[in-house]
Amino acid sequence: MGLSFSDSAHWMVTTVIEAVVLSLALRRNLFDRLPVFTIYLCTVVANEAIIWLTYSFTGIRSHTSFYVYWTMQAIQVSIRAVVVYEICRELLSRYTGIWKLCRPLLILLGVGIASSAAVMVRQQVHPLSSTILMTERSLEFTVVGILILGLIFCRYYSVEIKPHLAWIALGLGFYSAIQVANNTFLGDWFSRVDNSIWRDLRMVSFNIATVFWLVALWKPLPAGQPAPVLLSRGEYEALAPEVTLRLRELNARLLEMWK
Amino acid sequence: MTAILIIFISLTILLALFWLLFGSKTQEAVLSVDSLQIETLLPVNSRHFAQISQMLKPADFLFMQRRAPHRMAREWRAERRRILGQYLKGLGQDFAQLRRLTRIVAALSPEIRKQQQWEWMWLELQFQISYCMVALKIAVGGLSPERLVRLTELITGLASELDSRISLIAEYSPPRMRVNAG
Repeated sequence: MGLSFSDSAHWMVTTVIEAVVLSLALRRNLFDRLPVFTIYLCTVVANEAIIWLTYSFTGIRSHTSFYVYWTMQAIQVSIRAVVVYEICRELLSRYTGIWKLCRPLLILLGVGIASSAAVMVRQQVHPLSSTILMTERSLEFTVVGILILGLIFCRYYSVEIKPHLAWIALGLGFYSAIQVANNTFLGDWFSRVDNSIWRDLRMVSFNIATVFWLVALWKPLPAGQPAPVLLSRGEYEALAPEVTLRLRELNARLLEMWK
Repeated sequence: MTAILIIFISLTILLALFWLLFGSKTQEAVLSVDSLQIETLLPVNSRHFAQISQMLKPADFLFMQRRAPHRMAREWRAERRRILGQYLKGLGQDFAQLRRLTRIVAALSPEIRKQQQWEWMWLELQFQISYCMVALKIAVGGLSPERLVRLTELITGLASELDSRISLIAEYSPPRMRVNAG
């Protein structure tokens, strides 16, 4: 197959951790709450098997291995983008008004970053490997962008983030942020020096993300909370203008003090 | 250069993630109508503005400026600046209370007007910037006696307006959000 002993051992450990995380997810009935994330974990484990079989049959440096590897990466990063949207929905959808405000922004941001990346990649002529890395970097940016925006909404409106969701989100965001930097080096500076460190960094960062997910699922998930009792539309309409007026006045006064 | 920028962005993203997920929440809001009591979220400091403003009468400023020895007048102005700083702090706390009220109301409303939400966010941003600038001005003592008089007048005016507005907000709030006085 062409892998060194240490690489093979690392791969084995990675696969075992991923399998443990998947089994915990299934045991905790995570599919009921985060179906896309559970499917993603299945894809991660399946990915290891597919890559291993491909490397075994065609060799690590074959064209087939190259295309299979990057096809699987494309599938996984796409699912990750949907997973972060799913996490944002899980956090915010209980608060109908906020979710209606946030959802179009999340979609717009995702489509916006992905489209600008596609345009950028089309405009520049690079070798295939660089193009793939650039595309992946843009998609990872999309993942982390959606996640950060959703979390900003949670912070702004003081929406509670359950620990298991926080750890899952951290794993996704951490891996994407590292890949953004990693792909820049792989495609730019370190490609001229030595990219083995950065290839290892890619694997290790994914291991760390997997450990975060392990922490998230280690304890039983907290019971689902009932939807909060909301105000009626009339109550909001009565209160909002008065509060706005008050805020405007305070601002106007402060601006006068500044001038 | 691009690589350094990307590394910087990645590190910023990681720090932001940690803060957003695990950062301390100074004002943990309880997002439920039952626990929401309008009186606890309304401005409180402004109720005492009128008393404090007695200490900052413009006539006193003019008297000190004309009659008192230079050193004493300077110390007196420094003391007034300190009081003004406290005034400003109270104003900031009251604004924070109103801000919290806006967020809870928005979170608990099934339908919110987007324009309204953006306006609230914009007003918050404006207030934060103005607040920092005024606080800086007071802290560095870059205010002339005339300016101090003007600021005092402004804040005194604000005190009476706030008092009347507080009662109006409480009046417009839904009955189930009010504290049972009994």
